[in-house]
Amino acid sequence: MDKLKQLAKELLSNNQVQIIVGYEEGTVGKARPAFISSPDQADTLIYDERCIHNLAVYLTQHKLPGNTKIAVIASFPVMKSIITLASEKQLDENFIKVIGISKDNNIIEFKDFADIERYINQQDLSFTPEEQALIDKIDAMSMEERWEYWQNEFSRCFKCYACRSACPMCYCTLCITDFNQPQWVSVPSHKLGNFEWHINRAMHLAGRCIGCDECSRACPLDLPINLLTKKLSMDIQKQFGYSAGQSLTEPYALSTYKPDDKETFIR
Amino acid sequence: MARIGVFVCHCGENISATVDCGKVAQVTSDIPGVVVSVDYKYMCSDPGQTMIKEYIEKEKLTGVVVAACSPRMHEPTFRRACGEAGLNPFLCEMANVREHCSWVHDKNDVTTDKAIDIVRTLVEKVKRNEPLMPIKVPVTKTALVIGGGVAGIQSALDIANCGHKVIMVEKEPSIGGHMSQLSETFPTLDCSQCILTPRMVEVAQHPNITLYTYAEVESLDGFIGNFKVKIRKKAKSLDEKLCTGCGLCCTKCPVKNIPSEFDQGLSNRRAIYVPFPQAVPNKPVIDKEHCTYYIKGKCKVCEIVCPTKAIRFDQEDEIIEVEVGALVLATGFDIKRANFFPEYGYGKYKDVIDGLQFERIASASGPTLGEIRRPSDGQIPKKIVFLACAGSRDPAKGIEYCSKICCMYTAKHAILYKHKVHDGTAYIFYMDIRAAGKNYDEFTRRAIEEDGAKYIRGRVSRIYERDGKLIVVGADTLMNAKTVEIEADMVVLATAGVASPGAEELAQKLHVSYDQHKFFAEAHPKLRPVETNTAGIFLAGACQNVKDIPESVAQASGAAVKVCGLFSNDELTRDPSVAVVNRTAPPLFSTCVGCFLCQSVCPYQAIEKEEIKSRDGKILKTIAFVNPSVCQGCGTCVALCRSKSIDILGYTHKQVYAEVDALLNTL
Repeated sequence: MDKLKQLAKELLSNNQVQIIVGYEEGTVGKARPAFISSPDQADTLIYDERCIHNLAVYLTQHKLPGNTKIAVIASFPVMKSIITLASEKQLDENFIKVIGISKDNNIIEFKDFADIERYINQQDLSFTPEEQALIDKIDAMSMEERWEYWQNEFSRCFKCYACRSACPMCYCTLCITDFNQPQWVSVPSHKLGNFEWHINRAMHLAGRCIGCDECSRACPLDLPINLLTKKLSMDIQKQFGYSAGQSLTEPYALSTYKPDDKETFIR
Repeated sequence: MARIGVFVCHCGENISATVDCGKVAQVTSDIPGVVVSVDYKYMCSDPGQTMIKEYIEKEKLTGVVVAACSPRMHEPTFRRACGEAGLNPFLCEMANVREHCSWVHDKNDVTTDKAIDIVRTLVEKVKRNEPLMPIKVPVTKTALVIGGGVAGIQSALDIANCGHKVIMVEKEPSIGGHMSQLSETFPTLDCSQCILTPRMVEVAQHPNITLYTYAEVESLDGFIGNFKVKIRKKAKSLDEKLCTGCGLCCTKCPVKNIPSEFDQGLSNRRAIYVPFPQAVPNKPVIDKEHCTYYIKGKCKVCEIVCPTKAIRFDQEDEIIEVEVGALVLATGFDIKRANFFPEYGYGKYKDVIDGLQFERIASASGPTLGEIRRPSDGQIPKKIVFLACAGSRDPAKGIEYCSKICCMYTAKHAILYKHKVHDGTAYIFYMDIRAAGKNYDEFTRRAIEEDGAKYIRGRVSRIYERDGKLIVVGADTLMNAKTVEIEADMVVLATAGVASPGAEELAQKLHVSYDQHKFFAEAHPKLRPVETNTAGIFLAGACQNVKDIPESVAQASGAAVKVCGLFSNDELTRDPSVAVVNRTAPPLFSTCVGCFLCQSVCPYQAIEKEEIKSRDGKILKTIAFVNPSVCQGCGTCVALCRSKSIDILGYTHKQVYAEVDALLNTL
């Protein structure tokens, strides 16, 4: 990954960007997100199979001073996140440089977002057999079993909202859980409140989740909450042939209809 | 503090027969914030309204709940009364204890309890109501009439004669619609074209009417009083200004074998054609699908023969954009064809025809010049069997409704036939003779008594060919369901009237609702029969359901007066229940994060971008902005918005949440 470090140094010393969001060596053998702002720090950058955090989550942080250009090291899920965020008008491509990393660890310098979109559409976007198997397991349960299963899982949640913080699509400046006029979601982590939160989270991500699984990785209790959004993504892909992070211009699947829709129930 | 008045109406006995109105008034008077709660026999009557007004003044009420009928019925009445007493009309709410309670439940305590709950929810809502002001919007005093049949023509002429501009769009090359195809009209037997063509000409020459034929509506934006319509003018391949309508091109065109739409396939037309001699405008179009030049790239005979050099092969479709204040939909209907009926040979017998084809055969301008000759060999049929209700009133065929016009036109066909073929016999299989209308029953009696039409009450089970004759097998239900077999020379099916093709697509483009048969839906089946549910769009003629000429014309005039009524105002007041994006204190400015997913979900294109700027003009945030004069208050954006940043005024999250809370807390 010397090439990556080299590129980072170049970008920073030419002042093409002011910050590079990437990964560095963390504690206990883990990688962690890194924010590099000077060329001499660039040597700490790493990229290997441990670098799995979805860095796109940092791109919508509204704390950076204006005119700061950011470069981001983008694995495939990060690319998809960037496309979704851009389609939701959250990113300005004049201020973001995307350094893509292909599946075989080659560096791709993207010219613009449309370039990323083209790259994504050349890749296999179908769900992996492992992902399918996880969903099939839940699908195979009866309604009662499923209810039991999720009740059990949610009963452990203590509402730390790590899932919300880790998700690049959860960028609302005031989340509905933080509303109290009216109090949409009850605050304490009891059964009702936990259900309210997780159902809301899943529905708000329906058709927007790009499937990075960062939510369940961030969860200190390892709740399999990624399955909820994954199932919704699968349904939407099946019903509408649309998957999030695929297009900059295609309108959100749940916000449009087409007069020639094959389903007749809607008419 | 809230000072709410609750007014419980008995609605005569409509409510009080099952709900204890006195108890409702008594219990709801204990709800915090309620200062007065009374019941009265007719709240909507003058004394009832006066009582509300007096209480508003005496008790200084800040909100009113009228527990009575549906808000669709009397909300305007009570809001007006409140307004007259100095209370903002939008601080008055209706608790629907009639349709939602007394009418649907038996008399018992639970019914009264439900009524109390309904009132309770509305009290909680009205406590959170804000005064609202109606929105005023200007009116563009131009109407768009879609469809140039008799209904569209009548509407256009009526509106234009009231001094307003009208734009008429017709998808065919000529106006006239189905009426121009008819031979004679019931119940007077006057020639259809003779009474219609003067009107067609009047449309073309009227200074207030702009006519676009061979054109279709591409899209509709905007709202009542302020629609923006895109019209696609299909390329006629003709410079209409130069064309004199001499018709030379139509006689020289080498493509001769295209079935004529106007003659229902009973004659042929050329690739460059005028649909019929009396067409308005009487100028040809080139049918690109069949024209040799468009298919093979050479021919151009019409261009060569044209004396004014009016042919334009390179002409392209043109999209024009017009602004109108109201629309009249007059897109008409269509009929099922013989190929819809397996039992009658799927249309493979040439002499089994539909009613519209018979009209062409009987018409003086038709393929047989008005002589009754059958399509297969041109012989004069001596026995004709007419089948009423072919498809209509037949749930097995998916058409449960009565097509309404067939009884009358079948009687007319029998009369016309007898007038032209004196030794011929007309048999009519019917289910019932539905001849309700001025001089209608007299007309069917005339067919039977004077013109000897043989009416057989029963259905036909099948038709097959034997020795050059069509064998019609049916039952006579007045003769003990005895089987009847008639050897006919020709069979005419009075096929069901159906919605015109493309009706569904048009309805979706215009956001007009339609029924399961794709006929456009009226706003109220009795009291608002010419309005659609979309304000500013009206219905005329058979696009709503199958109608005969007098009915279509009557409705068309009705639609015209609705349009003129609308145009009598310089500005309209609209319900202020529209969506608004919230604003909060800096640095948030709004909880809207500007994802603009609401923009694609909005069916009215009402959502725009708003830039929040600092004093020195720097853009601090871009958020959604709902244009209040375009928004229809449907609430779709509210449902989609993840951060709940959009509220419908009068139905805010806070209000609705309080309503639900009020219900749940009583459990």
